[in-house]
Amino acid sequence: MKTASGWERLRAWFLLPAWIWMAVLFAAPFAIVIVYSLLTRGAYGGVGLPWTIENYQRLADPLYLGIVLRSFVMAAATTAICLMLGFPLALFISRAGSRKNIYLQLVILPFWTSFLVRLYAWLFLLRDTGLINTALQHLGLIHDPLPLLYNDGAVLLGLVYGYLPFMVLPVYATLERLDPALVEAAADLGAKPWPTLLHVVLPLSAPGIRAGSILVFIPALGAYLTPDLLGGGRTVLIGNLVQNQFTTARDWPFGAALSVGLMALVGVLVLLMLRSEREGLV
Amino acid sequence: MGVAGLAGCARGRPRLNVYNWSNYLAPDTVANFEREFGVRVRYATYESNEEMLAKVLGGNSGWDVVFPTHNRIQPMRQYGLLAPLDHARLPNLPNLEARFQSPPWDPRLEYCVPYMWGATGIAYNRSAAPAPAAWADLWSARFKGRLTMLDDPEEVLGACLLKLQLSYNSTDDASLRRAEHEAIAQKPLVRAYLNAEYRDQLVAGDILVAHSWATTAQQAIDAAPQLGFAYPAEGFPLYGDNAVVLRESGRAELAHEFINYLLRAPVAAAIVQTSRTATANGAAQALLPEALRRNTTLFPTAETLARGQWIGTMPSATQRLRDRMWTEIKSA
Amino acid sequence: MKRWLGLYAAAVYLFLHVPLVILAVFSFNSSRFTVWQGFSLTWYRAIFHDQQLAESAWNSVIIAVAATILSTIAGTLCAYGLWKRGATLLSGSLYLSLVTPEIVMGISLLALFQWSFRWLHWRLGLHTVILAHVAFSIAYVVIVIAARLRTFSPALEEAALDLGATEWQAFRYVTLPALLPGIVAAALLALTVSFDDYVITSMVAGVDSETLPMVIYAMARRGASPVINAISALIVVVFGALVLLSERVREA
Repeated sequence: MKTASGWERLRAWFLLPAWIWMAVLFAAPFAIVIVYSLLTRGAYGGVGLPWTIENYQRLADPLYLGIVLRSFVMAAATTAICLMLGFPLALFISRAGSRKNIYLQLVILPFWTSFLVRLYAWLFLLRDTGLINTALQHLGLIHDPLPLLYNDGAVLLGLVYGYLPFMVLPVYATLERLDPALVEAAADLGAKPWPTLLHVVLPLSAPGIRAGSILVFIPALGAYLTPDLLGGGRTVLIGNLVQNQFTTARDWPFGAALSVGLMALVGVLVLLMLRSEREGLV
Repeated sequence: MGVAGLAGCARGRPRLNVYNWSNYLAPDTVANFEREFGVRVRYATYESNEEMLAKVLGGNSGWDVVFPTHNRIQPMRQYGLLAPLDHARLPNLPNLEARFQSPPWDPRLEYCVPYMWGATGIAYNRSAAPAPAAWADLWSARFKGRLTMLDDPEEVLGACLLKLQLSYNSTDDASLRRAEHEAIAQKPLVRAYLNAEYRDQLVAGDILVAHSWATTAQQAIDAAPQLGFAYPAEGFPLYGDNAVVLRESGRAELAHEFINYLLRAPVAAAIVQTSRTATANGAAQALLPEALRRNTTLFPTAETLARGQWIGTMPSATQRLRDRMWTEIKSA
Repeated sequence: MKRWLGLYAAAVYLFLHVPLVILAVFSFNSSRFTVWQGFSLTWYRAIFHDQQLAESAWNSVIIAVAATILSTIAGTLCAYGLWKRGATLLSGSLYLSLVTPEIVMGISLLALFQWSFRWLHWRLGLHTVILAHVAFSIAYVVIVIAARLRTFSPALEEAALDLGATEWQAFRYVTLPALLPGIVAAALLALTVSFDDYVITSMVAGVDSETLPMVIYAMARRGASPVINAISALIVVVFGALVLLSERVREA
C-alpha cells in the first residue's frame, strides 16, 4: 500500500540524523568505555594492558552494592518529590493562558546561571551561620543552629532543586494538550475539582509524568556535584564513586566498569518498564 | 570559528598556551609578559593534577607549559611527556632558593623548575583555646561538629599515619589499616570533608578547626585575624609545584622565556603578594615586605621545616588499597 | 482551586529563585567573603575588564545555540519516527546516554576525538564541544516530544492523507504545528542543559574554547569570589530582559 511504505520512507529519513549521531558520538565512545573496563589501570591515570575482568569482579563487593542501593533510594526520593512539587506547577502554567510562555521561562531562568554557583547560594542559606539559622535565632525560635547542611536531607533538597524543571517541562508539554472541554464536561456532570484532577487530568497526563520521572530519576542516579557540595563529602553515592575513579583514585578501568554496571542495571529496569506497558515511552 | 575576531585578532603575534593552578598569578603577570615580549598568552587553570594529566596524557593537548606537583614529574618523564630544559635559556635559575636548586625529585633540574611550594597543617580559631598543635588534637571531642578535614584520601590517611607516628608515605598494608581505623573513628567528629569551602566557614565562624593547606589558611587569616595556623608536631607533608615544558609543544623557546620571566624576583614577589603562596624563589623573598617575609605560616622556620616530609609517589597496589579504604571511610 | 494553584506556584517560584536573590545581594558586597561588609560595585567593574570572561560567555552562547538547534531538529524528527514505529536499539541508546555519568562520557569522547584526530589532523575546539553537547541533549528532546506525541491520535494525519496530502505534508502542516509548544519546551531544556554543562565541556574543549561554566567553576572552586555573583546577576537580568522583550514582540 502506498501509504504504509510512504510512512516507512519518511520514518527512515527522520530517524537518520539521530542514528548517525548516536552511532558516532555515543556508541563509539561507549565501546571505548567497555574496552577501558577490560584493561588495567595506568600508574598515573589512563589505561594499559593486560586485559582483565577483575574490574567487573570487584563490582560484586557489598561495599559497592550498598552504594548503588543508597543511590537508587536517593534518586527515587528525588523523583517522587519533584513530581509532587512539579505537577501542580505544570498545571498552573498550562492554564495560564496568554502568559504561559513567561511562566515557563521563569522556571528555566535560574538555570541560566551556573548550577555550582546556585549550590553555593544554598550553602550560604543552610550553613550554621547562614541566613536561615541566623534569621531563626534572631526571631528567638531556636537557640542553637539547626544542622541543615552536610546530611542526606540537604542533598535531597539540592537534587530536587536541580531537577525540578526536568519534571515540569515534560508534564507541561502533555498538560498543555489537555482539552479544557474534558474538564468542563466533568464539571457539567457534577464532579468537584479534586476528583476531576484525580480521575481525568492525572491519567491523561501520564505520558508526561512518565517522561518527567525518567528525566529526573536517571540523571539523578549519576549526580555527583550536589552530594559532594551539600553532603560535605560525608557519603558516597555512585556518581561520586565514578567521579572519584577518574580523578583522585586514577583507576579509569574500575570507573568504566562501574559505569557499564550502572548502565546495565538501568537498562534492565527500563526494559522491564517498557515491556510492562502496552505502549512504550519512545 | 568567530572567537578569534572577538579576541582582538592577534594574528602575527606568537602564541603561548599556559595551563596552571588557579590563584598562582598576580593580576598583571601575564599582561606584562605579553607586552614585553610582544606575544599572546592563552592562560587557563585547573584544580587538580589529574584534571591536567587527563588532557596532557594524550600527547596532543595543545598546552606548552604546565605546572605539575613534584611527585608527578617522574611519571610524566616515564610517559615521555616532558621536554628537557635548556639551562642556557634560563639565566634566572640562580634566583631559586638553595634547596630548590637541586630538589630530590630532579636534582639537576633537567625537566622542571620549582615554582611554588606549600604544606598541610591545621588552621584554627584562637577562641578554641588551647590551640591545636598536633594531628592528635583533631581527634579531640571538644571540636565535635566544628572540625573539617580535607576531601583528599592522601591527606586524610596521611594525617592519620602521622598521628600514629608513622611515615606519611607509608606503603605498608598493616599501617594503612590502622590509619583507616583512625579515620573512621574520627568521622563522627568531622562536620564535612572540604577542600575549598572551609576557608569561608572558618572566617564566618561555622567551624573552629580545619585540616588546611598553609596558603588557604593564610588567605583566611588575612580576612580574620583571630585565626591561626599550626604546623603539627608529629610532622606534615610538603609539596612543590613545578613549571615544565611539554614535549608536544612546538614553542619550546617561548616557553623557556616565560619560565625565565616567572623566575624574575620582582615578578615572583608580586605573585606572592596576591596569591599568598610560598615561592621557591629566594631572590623574590628578599623583595617581600617585612610582614610577609617573616610570616611563619607561609615561610616556617628551618626548625619547623625539618619536621616536613615531601609527598612521595605511590605504587599501584598501594594506590588501589588506599582508594578502597577511602570509599570505606566515606561510606562509614 | 485556581487561587490555591496560583499561591502554590508563587511558593515554588520563590524556592527556585531564592538563591538568585542571595547571589544578587552579595554581588554588591565589598568583602570577598560571605560576611556582609558594605556596598560596592567593584565586582561589576572587574567583569568589564575581564576579556577572558567576555570570550568564554560568547563561546557558551555559540555552543548552546548551535547544539540546541541541531539536537532539537534531530530529536524532534527522531521522536516522530519512533512514534510511527519503535526502534529498540535507538531508544535503548538514548536512555543509556541519560544514565551515563558525565565524567565517563567526557573521558570517552575525549579518547574518541584524540584517536580520530590522528587521521583527521584536527584539534579540539568549539566544534568538538558542540558535537558532544548534541550527543547528550538529543535524549532530552526525544523524551519530551515523545510524551507530547502520546497525546496525539494518528487519525488527523490519516484524514490529511485521505484529502490528498503526502506523508511529508501531513507531518509539516498537521502534526508539526501542534507539536510546537512541546518543541519549545524541549528546546529550552536542551539549551539549559548545554549552557550549564561543565564536566563534558571541560574534557573536550580545546585550548581556545573556554566556556563560561569553565571560567565560573574555576573561580568558584577557588573560594566563591563575588565576581561570580556579579556575573550570575547580570546573566539573569539580561536573559530576563530578553524574555520580556520576546513576549512583547510576540504580542505585537
